[in-house]
Amino acid sequence: MGIQEQYRSEAAALLSSGEVKLVIGFGEGSTADRRRPLFARTPEEAQKFVLDAACIANLSTYLVTEGLLSDGKKVAVFLKPDGIRSVNILISEAQLKPDQVVILGYAIDKAEITALEGRNISDFSLGEEIRSHTPPPHILQEAERIEEMNPAERFEFWKAHFSKCIKCYACRQVCPMCYCRRCIVDVNQPQWVSTSSHTLGNFEWNIVRAFHLAGRCAACGACDRACPVNIPLRLVNYRMGKEVIDAFDYCAGENSSQKPVLASFKQDDPETFIL
Amino acid sequence: MSEPFEPKIVAFVCTYCTYAGADLAGTSRLKYAPNVRIVRLPCTGRISPMFILKALQKGADTVLVSGCHPGDCHFTAGNYHARRRWTVFRALLAFTGIPEERIRFSWVSAAEGAKFAEMINEITEQTRKLGPFTQYQELQKVIETQSTY
Repeated sequence: MGIQEQYRSEAAALLSSGEVKLVIGFGEGSTADRRRPLFARTPEEAQKFVLDAACIANLSTYLVTEGLLSDGKKVAVFLKPDGIRSVNILISEAQLKPDQVVILGYAIDKAEITALEGRNISDFSLGEEIRSHTPPPHILQEAERIEEMNPAERFEFWKAHFSKCIKCYACRQVCPMCYCRRCIVDVNQPQWVSTSSHTLGNFEWNIVRAFHLAGRCAACGACDRACPVNIPLRLVNYRMGKEVIDAFDYCAGENSSQKPVLASFKQDDPETFIL
Repeated sequence: MSEPFEPKIVAFVCTYCTYAGADLAGTSRLKYAPNVRIVRLPCTGRISPMFILKALQKGADTVLVSGCHPGDCHFTAGNYHARRRWTVFRALLAFTGIPEERIRFSWVSAAEGAKFAEMINEITEQTRKLGPFTQYQELQKVIETQSTY
């Protein structure tokens, strides 16, 4: 029995026994190589689940939907390791209760897809794996190329990218960490970020989002894929993740009991830049 | 004829240390550059990175952020939290190409009026050399001149 059939029947069993009220997984997409989220509330609907190497989206973003878990019932969700990492971060930020999420874990290695052991978040230990995790080679090379530039070149690089931004906020919508009910960009008294899509406002928006994701990003790359104008958002998120590892020895999402990095401190944190 | 460049410096300071330090500089009759606009806040922990971006947006050439020395925070830990935030924010600005000299951080205690005066003079001189931060200020115009759509 393939993993798809295994998870279909497991999802159906979870729903028919009433253990979970909803299973979030993947269904057929608009084209053969795309998958779209499928929300199954009955065992029959669970038979429509698809699980293959095209299932790359991070479905944990649906877990923070307002009101979804407020009735105390459980939800099952199909997650790759980066999705599990997101769940760890969300739990550490008190956005989820660990026992409300049933994880149907899978990993994709090239075209191979394997099931992950464990159903509860505490069954998964990501520690070493994510700390040594490196982004895809092209991201890494690009990040190194930017590090070697001088500030003016870097500024031009990002200006060229950010000037394309149309402020559709797809990066925000797709991100499991962007759960604020009122995003800073929607605040208008004072108006921190200008909402029209001129380059300055785009710059501010992207800087603010990157800052808010610092030490929280699960590196799932969803923002990067969602961006309609192909801004390499992963680059800046990768750089921020590296910074918190280097400066504070903190890797987001290693486990669900860590304290958020910018909500904690050590007395001997580095401060080389302060006069 | 255009007027000579006068740097605009915005300083976000905490009221218990750096603001008191600046006050001491004043009452000690120390002379320092008049280019700095001081914004007083309850604590460095209150200084959001948005303040820095807003200052740059509104035409600041250099931004200074200053508060109590570690261990001296009126609220016990505000400056420790701020320090982490700045470490990350500074790395982010560096990565996006905003020169590090434009955003300065310091600890100035209520007793360090002289340090405050010297620092403002030094930052003003440095900013004078760097020139106005037109690179950032001109971003707003980009859409009008080189729209890609």
